[in-house]
Amino acid sequence: MSDETVDVLIIGAGAAGAALAWSLAETRMNVLCLEQGDWMDPAQYPSTGMDWEMRQFGDFGLSPNSRGRPEDYPINDSESPIAVSNFNAVGGSTILYAAHFPRFHPGDFQVKTLDGVADDWPIDYALLEPYYDLNARMMGVAGLAGDPAYPDKEVPLPPVPLGVLGETLGRGFNKLGWHWWPSDSAIATEAYEGRAPCINLGPCITGCAQGAKASTDVTYWPSAIRRGVTLRTRCRVREITVGADGLADGVLYYDEHGAEQRQRAEMVVVACNGVGTPRLLLNSRSQLFPEGLANRSGLVGRNLMFHPYAMVTGIFDGRLEGYKGPTGCCIMSQEFYETDLSRGFVRGYTFETLRGLGPVSTALLGMSSGRVPWGAGHHEAYEALFDRTAGMVVICEDLPEPHNRVTLDPDLVDSNGIPAPKIHYRLSENSHRMLEHCVARGSEVLEAAGAVETFADAPLPPAGWHLMGTARMGTDPDASVVNEWGRCHDVRNLFIIDGSIFVTAAAVNPTNTIQALALYIADQIVKNLANLFE
Amino acid sequence: MSDDALLSSDEERDLAGVLDEIIPPSEDGRLPGAGELGLTAAIERAMNDTPDLRPAVAQGLAALHELVESRGPGDFASLSREERRGVLNELATLQPAFLPGLIFHVYAHYYQDGRVLEALGLEPRPPHPLGYELETGDLSLLDPVRDRPKLYRR
Repeated sequence: MSDETVDVLIIGAGAAGAALAWSLAETRMNVLCLEQGDWMDPAQYPSTGMDWEMRQFGDFGLSPNSRGRPEDYPINDSESPIAVSNFNAVGGSTILYAAHFPRFHPGDFQVKTLDGVADDWPIDYALLEPYYDLNARMMGVAGLAGDPAYPDKEVPLPPVPLGVLGETLGRGFNKLGWHWWPSDSAIATEAYEGRAPCINLGPCITGCAQGAKASTDVTYWPSAIRRGVTLRTRCRVREITVGADGLADGVLYYDEHGAEQRQRAEMVVVACNGVGTPRLLLNSRSQLFPEGLANRSGLVGRNLMFHPYAMVTGIFDGRLEGYKGPTGCCIMSQEFYETDLSRGFVRGYTFETLRGLGPVSTALLGMSSGRVPWGAGHHEAYEALFDRTAGMVVICEDLPEPHNRVTLDPDLVDSNGIPAPKIHYRLSENSHRMLEHCVARGSEVLEAAGAVETFADAPLPPAGWHLMGTARMGTDPDASVVNEWGRCHDVRNLFIIDGSIFVTAAAVNPTNTIQALALYIADQIVKNLANLFE
Repeated sequence: MSDDALLSSDEERDLAGVLDEIIPPSEDGRLPGAGELGLTAAIERAMNDTPDLRPAVAQGLAALHELVESRGPGDFASLSREERRGVLNELATLQPAFLPGLIFHVYAHYYQDGRVLEALGLEPRPPHPLGYELETGDLSLLDPVRDRPKLYRR
């Protein structure tokens, strides 16, 4: 047991926790972060071995339910067509993310005003813009200025290479007169702040052995620790405790040996992602908060948003060098991003092109789709497929619906006996219509680019990378969990800074916005420190 | 058969024959068959690591042995190519879990083998540490996009 009371206790060392820890370090407050995972060793990442493709089905798999790592907690996603994908380590899910790093559009913060659906955020793009810029410098964002889909923005590094594949698809978009642009990517395309430049390894989504991808274990954390923040790994928080005054006073957690520990704190910050955060709050029940901490609104866990994904793939006649280059970062299109009701749905989506498949993934795709038979004709069929595929994922905007939610599973527990989360989620009719539209348009652009055959998968089942909305932000305590700067309405010294606080989801990857919010909230904490507990 | 081997030497020989039917040598001799490549050891390791694969392969090889025996003396490899295909087709009905489980692992291990990668014209190495060269590409392709008005709403 520790008798020390820290000034700030952060739970979770992923995208948000790292950014906030770094920002608060300059205050000289005593900042401690507890993380259930451990530091990763880049020398052990899959791209260093011949079995690099197969390890995405094993210890670097997307689902914590099948990955088998001791630091993972199980998630019951049997009542959802989309399975949760996450990672537990210093760096959190940035270890596995593709590093596609777009910002929200200005209109994404005003969905109710513009389109009459969901709710407006209590903050806007202009307020977050300096934090997006700061985050671009801290993470090292590569991109190209001048994209007409966005206001002018700071992009410190040159874009990731287009390669043959990017040029091929770019020509397809041009043929249709559709928007496209090199992706904003959190990848050091040149040596940057001590990070080695990207050498186009390919499998960013199983960790970057080069250290070029901006996972927060190589960006924010080294700097935060140098500036005095303490990061304690293999510590799984069971619950946040409250005193008689209704303020959070610390946490109970299990250390790496499974022993229960207590950590006291003046202020608690939750950064456990859109599933882990409601799980922790719902597990933190007390006499003052019998329905879970900070849950007087009844909204903790509700309004869960994923991004329904589609994947559209084309087979081309020529070689595309698709196994080279950052797998998830090449070009993107926001031709269908903003609402046009003539399409049959409200809001929109982003196309993000993928690089091609490696040798093993090609064989397995050929096996599962029947394109590469075993026996006679195998080699001819394989060579007609290998390095001739290019595809796109499509990120559809999800809208908040209270019935989509995270609860506690009545039976399932993690290795410490802590109740596990259960996902209740169904796709809306709007999402179904959007998926149908994006598959048709995706096939159209691949054909325009020269694909001789296309096929699609929608919704993509293992695509629950983006976890949002389960502790939403707002000014009304009856209709939101945190205020406009991340402070819980019900507990004045408790903050939430991850994707849980999103009011709406936009149609882009959320990490950049999560971190910009964390940096903004850190500044608000400092500005309001004098009267934080009044 | 070593102490920790899962399969007898006869079973290993039959398995190698099956692997060569799943991925046979290419007709131009450039690409080896999966059995010829020596993937039986990799399959045995996969049987150890994959709970469902072990009984599927063991029962499949036992059934294969019976089918071969019913055709007369000799082992699987001694059958003609047509007979071997016939046996595997029968096996697909008798032991439906055998081939699908096996094919997944055969494909996976075959296409990560350096000799196969080299024959496909690839470098026989993992991506790291050498990485790959990739052309920046022609950014003038973006000119028509640059000319468009702003697409976002405020």
